Amino acid sequence: MVNEKQLKEEVKKIVSRDDVKYVIGYEKGTYGFQAAPSFAFTPEEADKFIFSPLCVNNLAVYLMLEEKLPLHKNEKEDTRKIGLIVKGCDSRAVVQIIQERGLKREEVVLIGIPCRGIIDPKKINAKFPNQMKNVDVNEDGEKFLIKVDGATHNIPKDELLFEKCKHCENPNPVIYDMLIGKEVKTLKKENYDDIKSLEKKSLKEKWEYWEKQFEKCIRCYACRNACPMCYCKECMVDQLSPQWIRRSVNLSENTVWNIMRAYHLAGRCIGCGECERACPMDIPLTKLNKKIEKDVKEMFDYMPGMDAEEKPLLAMFKPDDPEEFIL
Amino acid sequence: MQKDKIFEPKIIGFLCNWCSYAGADLAGTSRINYPPNLRVIRVMCSGRVNPMHVVAALQNGADGVLIGGCHPGECHYEQGNYLARRRITVLRKLLEYIGIDPRRVKMTWVSAAEGKKFADVVKKVTEDIKEIGPMQHFRRRNKW
Repeated sequence: MVNEKQLKEEVKKIVSRDDVKYVIGYEKGTYGFQAAPSFAFTPEEADKFIFSPLCVNNLAVYLMLEEKLPLHKNEKEDTRKIGLIVKGCDSRAVVQIIQERGLKREEVVLIGIPCRGIIDPKKINAKFPNQMKNVDVNEDGEKFLIKVDGATHNIPKDELLFEKCKHCENPNPVIYDMLIGKEVKTLKKENYDDIKSLEKKSLKEKWEYWEKQFEKCIRCYACRNACPMCYCKECMVDQLSPQWIRRSVNLSENTVWNIMRAYHLAGRCIGCGECERACPMDIPLTKLNKKIEKDVKEMFDYMPGMDAEEKPLLAMFKPDDPEEFIL
Repeated sequence: MQKDKIFEPKIIGFLCNWCSYAGADLAGTSRINYPPNLRVIRVMCSGRVNPMHVVAALQNGADGVLIGGCHPGECHYEQGNYLARRRITVLRKLLEYIGIDPRRVKMTWVSAAEGKKFADVVKKVTEDIKEIGPMQHFRRRNKW
């Protein structure tokens, strides 16, 4: 469990610094099993900050969403820092953004939190439907303690955790300025079992599977907006000249959108799973991302979001890269 | 229309200006026969080919895509073909995972002196794609 008092103290200290604009964290949501992103501009606002296993959002996305308006004459740019609460996967997203020169390291203040796994809202809402009041969730070793209608339920972690958290290799933040609580030791290993079993199927079966998934897509672009790595000034699908993908929602355009979304994250996706969580049609998008992650690891021995000094995967090469398909 | 018409694939070739395009030129001037299924688009470097170009070609009616570059180490821009190789490797793996035969996207190194090799490559690619059949998976059918 994270010491919330310590967290609030740290956030207050950071917000009251002159060179910090605001701190991004979590607060209690309106109802049920929700935790909402929260922005603290003053030390008083930091009092509402929490951290619990319900804090699903990857807050790194807000770093790149802030709109920078054009400056007036004689106006100086606001160069104050932004504070951010990061879990293991969020910190990798920040590393990746820094690696791509989207941000500079000195522009952010990172409050690291070692993460013991986050609850999947879909799973918990299926178990306890229609919760109108905000529910307290605590963790105790390998169990979650959930207080619903006065009764406390003890539920093993494996039943509620995100799939990604079950195989998480980096629960501790990769970079941080201060750490709340102790580092977590983990023996979990990513084994890519899902992907391997799908890979083994024939081309026809694979296409039948994905055809069904892509037909569901309504192209709301929630996957793009929730993704911390999708911060292009103009997205490929919004371009009109050339218009790569047309606006109509059908299998052809949906497939191309999903291929290109996954491809654009090749060697960049840090596996936070926000795209799949945001998807209203339950398309298994992490299966696409993980596939590329696995290939990249096998072929190029590269893990995104680990080292800010390294070059991006597709901007470098080795003379002995695999080329068995080249005629 | 005859029903049992022989399938003649459309293949889009992105050939680099300095090697493959000159290689194709040499194949022509040396009067080597090769299948007419390849439609060539000249690009300045194979590194110019965005994976979006490849997917867009497959979506808009091509049955296969061939990307031609200089031999490794001989790129006019020194590293363009190495970068293209990485990109296309990842793209092919992704296409295969989605259920599209990766043989539809091929890459080749042809230098300006290899007219014969170019003709052989085009023959091989055309035969491959004739065997796979037309691209039906996500072809664009609407006009808007």
